[in-house]
Amino acid sequence: MTAPKKVWAYRTLITNLALRDLRSRYKKSILGWLWSLINPATTLAIYTVVFGVFLGVEAPIAGNGHSKLFALYLFSALVAWNTFASGVSTAMQSFLAAGGLLTRTYFPPEVPIIAGSLTVLTQTAVETVILIGFMVAIGNLGWTTLFAIPILLLLTSFSFGIGMIVSLLNVRYRDVAYLTALGIQVLFYATPIVYSDTIASKHPWAATLLKLNPMTHFVGAMRHSVYLLQPPTLLNWVAMIGSTLVMTSVGWWVFATKAPRYIEEI
Amino acid sequence: MSGSIEVQNVSKEFRLQADRPTSVKERFTRRNRDKTETHFWALDHVSLEIPEGSMYALVGHNGSGKSTLLRCIAGIYRPDTGKVNASGRISTLLELGAGFHPDLSGRENVYLNATILGMSRKQIDAKFDEIVDFAGVEQFIDSPVKVYSSGMYVRLGFSVAVHVQPEILIIDEVIAVGDEQFQRKCFDHLYGLRRQGVTIVVVTHGMATVETMCDGAAWLDHGVLQMQGPAVEVAASYLKSVNDAEAEDRAAHRGGGRGGLRSMASRSSAPGDDPLVLDPEATEIEILEVEIRDADGNATMTIEHGTPMQVAVRYLAHAELDDLAFGYGINAENGAHVCGTHTQIAGVPSGKILPGEGEAVFVIDSTPLIAGNYEVSGAIADKHVQHIFDRRDRETRLIVRRGDVRSGAGLVEIPGHWELHSPQSGTAKRSTEGVAEEV
Repeated sequence: MTAPKKVWAYRTLITNLALRDLRSRYKKSILGWLWSLINPATTLAIYTVVFGVFLGVEAPIAGNGHSKLFALYLFSALVAWNTFASGVSTAMQSFLAAGGLLTRTYFPPEVPIIAGSLTVLTQTAVETVILIGFMVAIGNLGWTTLFAIPILLLLTSFSFGIGMIVSLLNVRYRDVAYLTALGIQVLFYATPIVYSDTIASKHPWAATLLKLNPMTHFVGAMRHSVYLLQPPTLLNWVAMIGSTLVMTSVGWWVFATKAPRYIEEI
Repeated sequence: MSGSIEVQNVSKEFRLQADRPTSVKERFTRRNRDKTETHFWALDHVSLEIPEGSMYALVGHNGSGKSTLLRCIAGIYRPDTGKVNASGRISTLLELGAGFHPDLSGRENVYLNATILGMSRKQIDAKFDEIVDFAGVEQFIDSPVKVYSSGMYVRLGFSVAVHVQPEILIIDEVIAVGDEQFQRKCFDHLYGLRRQGVTIVVVTHGMATVETMCDGAAWLDHGVLQMQGPAVEVAASYLKSVNDAEAEDRAAHRGGGRGGLRSMASRSSAPGDDPLVLDPEATEIEILEVEIRDADGNATMTIEHGTPMQVAVRYLAHAELDDLAFGYGINAENGAHVCGTHTQIAGVPSGKILPGEGEAVFVIDSTPLIAGNYEVSGAIADKHVQHIFDRRDRETRLIVRRGDVRSGAGLVEIPGHWELHSPQSGTAKRSTEGVAEEV
């Protein structure tokens, strides 16, 4: 495959595009960069109140042996989820936004999507640092916390693969953006984020379904390593690495073969 | 070899599906869709070679596939058949400032745009001042480009594209923007680039640009390569075909807008002016050549201002013809119509023309044209100047040199002389009035 090689040649462009997006994103707003934190913080607060307080979903005891904080249990899963959800939607937006450029100058069409992934990764890094900051505050830190790095990198690549396919479809069919948003929402509740997978295991069919969802493993692995301070299970690793390999290579292959045609339609 | 471009048998097809589903919902809900696709070949097996370091023009009417070919060369479109071998870094100028982000500053946009064109950060650092200087936007370089005037926007875009040290520069009719001064600067810069061995491919409708600036050219029509070769020849053939097609068109809608031979040679390279009707079936007589001759009657291209000159319209008659009108016209290089006349205006009847070769010569005792480049046309029409048998539009070049006789400015020296009525003592008032009258 020559595509990765070509992309590597355009690495300066990728970083510049990513920087452009990051710079222009909050340039005209009063709160500026704070916006990138307000959004996840609000979500976290709502879910904590609704699920943790009202519905009384209980978090397991954290790795330090005494803390039991639903908010942080949720946050460690949300960091992974946000990486996925914004990874897919950013891929779509960046490809569409780069359309005008792609019909006027040549550069590999993967470039804007990769740049988009980088901006998402930046956001993920910021959230992860904050998450770990909280973990430090409650004294819940271990060597397994380091697993967050490979997990989130794998997840970025997984979302990148899906993002490439969705962005292609989005160029051809105008309702793909809505369908994707809907799909992401369904997947959110089909992943043990606002509830723990032990609750779901009361229904055997649901437990099977959850196991088939790759996101279950990403989210589970994050919780294991950051909250429970346990290494992710072997099944988690197999599922994460397997789904990442499949989605990235299939997504990229489909993209590389179809993109030149689709670009003509932008 | 870097900078050469080889286009091998390239075809590009566009599908125009009349009733294509535009949403996933439609895809599944409407099954009785009209699935017929109209295939449209934007390029049909085109092969070209553009040598390294040359300036090459693609000409043709709108929709002839020029821009598609440019995009194939640039790698933006993937050809359906054949391939393009373009070695070297390609810089494209298909739309100026295409990669600019309105909210970012000029500086940030320069870096971004240059990286799109394949430069590294270090290379841009080295060229940055030059880019900004060329565009003349130093004062505003840290302001967001959305506050730029359209001229500044365009200048910065051009400046980035030409300063990225391309080996191949691809330009799609964008230099036509910007003010006169900047255009001249652009052309100068392009000349400079060519001297450095940069291959430049342009799409243009300005035949003057093609003739004066380009080495080679290719002419496309409906995606099919019609001709390739030296720019001057291709431009001439293309112009001739445009004229012919137009004349045919006019003949089909006979009756409108004929201005007689006085409009002869008023045709500039831009089609759409008012041409005479060229009878497509008129094979009775054809122009062999429109020739410029010096005082001794020898064919030449250069004439000194103020010396005798002849314009000869050489023809070959295939049949016996009654009275005809022979005419000539001269245009300046920039298209300005300098003069034109014909035998009917001068009241010189041609009489019966027998089959064979002949010529009509307009004799000028003293060339009034001022030093410069001109283009000469010739035409043959019937005596009512109602239909044209044949015409050669601006195909003959004429270079007028400054001679011993001093000349003024403009295109022609109008015969005349000066009379001076200088103020006499005691008549100051009268002479002031005199000046006013002359003005």
